[in-house]
Amino acid sequence: MAQSHDRLDERSHDRLLGVDVGGTFTDFVFLRDGEIEIAKRPSTPDDPGRAIINGLTEFGWTPEEVVHGSTVATNTLLTRTGAPTALITTAGFRDTLVIGRQARPDLYALHPQRHEPLVPRRLRYEVDERIAADGTVIAPLDLAQLDAVLDRIARTRARSVAICFLFSFINPEHEQSAAERARSRGFDVSASYEVLPQHREFERMSTTTANAYLAPVMTRYLDSLESKLEDRSEGDVRLRIMQSNGGSLSAGSAGRNAVRTVLSGPAGGVAGAFAAAETDGFPQAMTFDMGGTSADVALCPGRLLERTDLVVDDMPIRTPAVNLHTVGAGGGSIAWFDPGGALRVGPQSAGADPGPAAYGRGTLPTVTDAHTVLGRLRPEQQLGGTVDLDVERAREAISTIAEPFGSVDGAARAVIDVVNANMARALRVISVERGYDPANFTLVAFGGAGPLHACDLADALGIPQVLVPPAPGVLSAAGMLISDITRDAEQGLHLTIGPEDAGSVGRLDEAFSVISEQARAAIGEDGYDSNVRIEFAADLRYLGQSHELTVSLNDGHDAQSVRNAFHEAHVERFGFSNASTPVEVVTARAKARHEGYRGDLGVASASDGSQSHTVNVSWDRERATRVMSRGSVDESVSGPAIITQVDTTVTVPPGWSATPLSTGSLLVKRDQR
Amino acid sequence: MTTPEINPARLAIFDSLVSSIAEEMGAALRHTALSPNIKERADFSCAVFDHEGQLLAQAAHIPVHLGAMPESVRAVERLEPWRPGDLAILNDPFLGGTHLPDVTMVSPVFAHGAGEDDAPIGYVASRAHQADIGGMAPGSMPVARELIQEGLVIPPIRLYRNGELVEEAMDLILRNVRTPDERRGDFNAQIAAQRLGERRIADLHSEYGDDGYKQTTEALLDYGERLTRAALRELPHGVWSFADSLDDDGHTEEPVPIRLRLTLDEDRAHFDFSGTAPQRAASINAVAPVTRSACYYVIRCLLPPDTPMNSGLFRPITFTLPERSIVAAQTPVAVAAGNVETSQRIVDTVWGAFNQLLPERMPAASSGTMNNLTAGGIDPRNGQPWAYYETSGGGLGGGPESPGLDAAHSHMTNTLNTPAEALELAYPLRVVENSIRPRSGGRGRRRGGHGLVRRTEFLGSAQVTLITERRSQQAWGAQGGEAGSSGRNSLEVRRADGTRSRRRLPGKITVDVEAGDIIRLETPGGGGWGEAQPR
Repeated sequence: MAQSHDRLDERSHDRLLGVDVGGTFTDFVFLRDGEIEIAKRPSTPDDPGRAIINGLTEFGWTPEEVVHGSTVATNTLLTRTGAPTALITTAGFRDTLVIGRQARPDLYALHPQRHEPLVPRRLRYEVDERIAADGTVIAPLDLAQLDAVLDRIARTRARSVAICFLFSFINPEHEQSAAERARSRGFDVSASYEVLPQHREFERMSTTTANAYLAPVMTRYLDSLESKLEDRSEGDVRLRIMQSNGGSLSAGSAGRNAVRTVLSGPAGGVAGAFAAAETDGFPQAMTFDMGGTSADVALCPGRLLERTDLVVDDMPIRTPAVNLHTVGAGGGSIAWFDPGGALRVGPQSAGADPGPAAYGRGTLPTVTDAHTVLGRLRPEQQLGGTVDLDVERAREAISTIAEPFGSVDGAARAVIDVVNANMARALRVISVERGYDPANFTLVAFGGAGPLHACDLADALGIPQVLVPPAPGVLSAAGMLISDITRDAEQGLHLTIGPEDAGSVGRLDEAFSVISEQARAAIGEDGYDSNVRIEFAADLRYLGQSHELTVSLNDGHDAQSVRNAFHEAHVERFGFSNASTPVEVVTARAKARHEGYRGDLGVASASDGSQSHTVNVSWDRERATRVMSRGSVDESVSGPAIITQVDTTVTVPPGWSATPLSTGSLLVKRDQR
Repeated sequence: MTTPEINPARLAIFDSLVSSIAEEMGAALRHTALSPNIKERADFSCAVFDHEGQLLAQAAHIPVHLGAMPESVRAVERLEPWRPGDLAILNDPFLGGTHLPDVTMVSPVFAHGAGEDDAPIGYVASRAHQADIGGMAPGSMPVARELIQEGLVIPPIRLYRNGELVEEAMDLILRNVRTPDERRGDFNAQIAAQRLGERRIADLHSEYGDDGYKQTTEALLDYGERLTRAALRELPHGVWSFADSLDDDGHTEEPVPIRLRLTLDEDRAHFDFSGTAPQRAASINAVAPVTRSACYYVIRCLLPPDTPMNSGLFRPITFTLPERSIVAAQTPVAVAAGNVETSQRIVDTVWGAFNQLLPERMPAASSGTMNNLTAGGIDPRNGQPWAYYETSGGGLGGGPESPGLDAAHSHMTNTLNTPAEALELAYPLRVVENSIRPRSGGRGRRRGGHGLVRRTEFLGSAQVTLITERRSQQAWGAQGGEAGSSGRNSLEVRRADGTRSRRRLPGKITVDVEAGDIIRLETPGGGGWGEAQPR
């Protein structure tokens, strides 16, 4: 299908749109002839594409290319509204989907509960076949039995079939023939050797099944959106979808690989924040997105890190995703005393309804109310032009927890201290626990509440500076717009490199050449043949270990290079290496990358129109504090100061200074003492 | 309620800081260990203590370690005085341990800049289940009579003195285990976790200052105590009795009873196990810390989610444990199954008592066994010795809201299974079936969870030990629900013509198997809750 279009790689980025569909708002970032425009519209959850089309019509925008962050896959999983799906697996293993790793999700639950599997037992089928750990066929695939199973599935509603046989990642021949037969019968097939050719049968089966469950829904949604986009445009519109790992792929591929998009939206935020940091010259970044109910943090040590251990509702999803850590801490998080008398904040949130007391309907004390009491959120500021802050109401709410603190201001500070401790713990998990020193990083703050807390968190972790990108409210959409087009291919291997081995490793060479061709072909199908770079990596461990580290192998993959890269990564992550222990290559990975838009995303921050003035704000004590709008910050500002803009508020505490950068970002640094 | 200096926010913040240190130790241990048992199954715990050995925080994946870690810190007191860089190791169940495979390391933490004569400001400890620690059977969980048969007994000794490895001690230990390279790797992972915890605690101490640190740790323990007292105040007060029993001790066939009298008054709980069977010349004996852990576990289930874990929580809880009984064993009897099986039955007994006072809240009994399988031999693929340990889940009890979970671990354990694809790459074994055992959950308004059927084929000759329970008895139902099905063990032997014969095996046995033989475990179902609707 790509062949009928112009080669995409030769096209300019003339009219490029990044659009992030969130639960409440759909954010637009539109690039036209080098100029950036941003907008926000309410989302339309019943048909997420409608908000996109309506927005485009309203703004009169006609993009040639749209990069879309979609919550369709996530929501379909969480609400269990995917396609009826059947599973075919090795005899003896059809309950693997339920047994999982046999652990209960909560150690101390009086009555533990688990989510139902995506495929009920009556749609889980077994066939006789078995492949051993070394790839030899112990029992051949029973084709007659397979045909009988397909007959039975044909009599159910399931038209999507997941196939997962043991050790197919080492020898896929049984899965290949089963997939071929099922496809010839008209079923949509997700085969595990294609979706996730890696060891551990439950995790592979879970990921494959999720893909089978999502693919038909995703394909339907994207087909419809694509045709609507084309209807209102003169020529072709290219639609790309953000993947969980921060790269994008064509809509057609996204439908077939739907499971690779479950973290689509948050991936845009991390990619956007990292790109902003890189542009400003701070590639060692920790991203920090705080909204109404939760905060997401991610570590980017000069690159986007990927993880493969995502779990959604007890289902492992092992395809690569941005390495995001989420904590239930947001502006709406409610403060309360537990029965032992400790102050806790969250994870319950006042959400959008009733919302914080300061917004006029809620009564429970929240983080937003604490900021309002302390004067850090300003009543004169228009919150997205929609809400007036009710300071008295916020004060009333906080006064309900003030008794042990001696004053309402003291209680408000305590609320912020506790929520900061929760978020600092999350930042510690992603940095210190992985062997990274926060002193070498920049904290990139965005989301409605991120820049309010960023300097406090930086203090707690010893991070020297905070970066607030120009449009922190639509950063995810910006991250989508600038995303690279990427396609991944993996291969489980289980080969060992001894401490004395030297020279090229035959099986690894062979695997890399196969999967790099697969990745190149995939990105070619997406319409990108030239300017494609292949990146190599492998999941490595010491022989006998059972957790792997994904290590980049772009500088060569002969025995010495692999070994050295792994020793180095092990030292970085765990503080030591075992030079005398053989290194096991568990999975080889290739990523085909075609660079997306690389240009300035500097946009003039929309000023909220308020005048600069001085008020009393409670920090360590009450201090005269300048309040100014972001648009009016044209030189360095010493704290204490509060900088407001339509979509967020930046606090510059005493001892910190904010400097505007040429890109439109704001750099907040701790003063030299 | 709170000391003036420690406000309620500081308490929550400090708890978050010490808990993340315990978790960070756990992450380091898990990621650097060599054996699947620690890495895949997460059979370990890490903890942080104050200068008196009171638990401040614990990253516990295994409830059986709950009340037992503080005992280890107490047991190493005999090695005082401490010097910076010292590190103690132990596994003696009668001196701070639980059962021999659980090897515990404890090290003192000194303040930054501490002098030669300064006392420790606290301790850190880690405990990991080692896949083999010697003894009469691979995996060190044999059907034994004496402790000495179960493996190498390590009383509290120094493994590091002033930061220097005591090599003789390490050599002695490694010479007495079946897979020394793997053990060395796991020990190194534990040591790395210890050193990390020491550094982090010292950092935290200097951040708070000596007085601030002491005050805050005391406030944290008081806070834990208030949490338990608040929860106990909400419960009915009175006295409840319950008895349950183990199938047998592995040598005779008679059931072994556990009896409990539970007293709740005001804001305290007392567990009296008088009338429980005397200790046996068998491995089903539990040491007192294991019994306390089982009781703490049930209390912890009744506390709100996110309750922090520290010694203060357990102050309002007291015990009467009859000496030299199977819930308070003393030397020289074996104890391996006490930790893994008797602990489960102690929970069932406590669970049964709470069922009487909270009939609308408590689920029925769960499968009540960890279905322990240990095996070892020489790998025909490479001539190397191997040792393997696996536990399997069963059905959970049905409860007021919903049926019990199928094929899951319950109560005192929550270890992961080894994936067939990981296991077959590592050992001369093949998993031929891992499925839910139909109709094994007890009937009821909310049925008990079903057990599982796990069949493992041996690709070479090996010695296998099974330590399993609820093979003759059953997980009881609650509020009129029926009991779950008993479990069943069997050996499927391949005949010359390729067909297989099946032979029943007892619940606790050591058996030699040949290439092609299959060990078949059918694990028990959970009890049902509420009367079943007539069919």
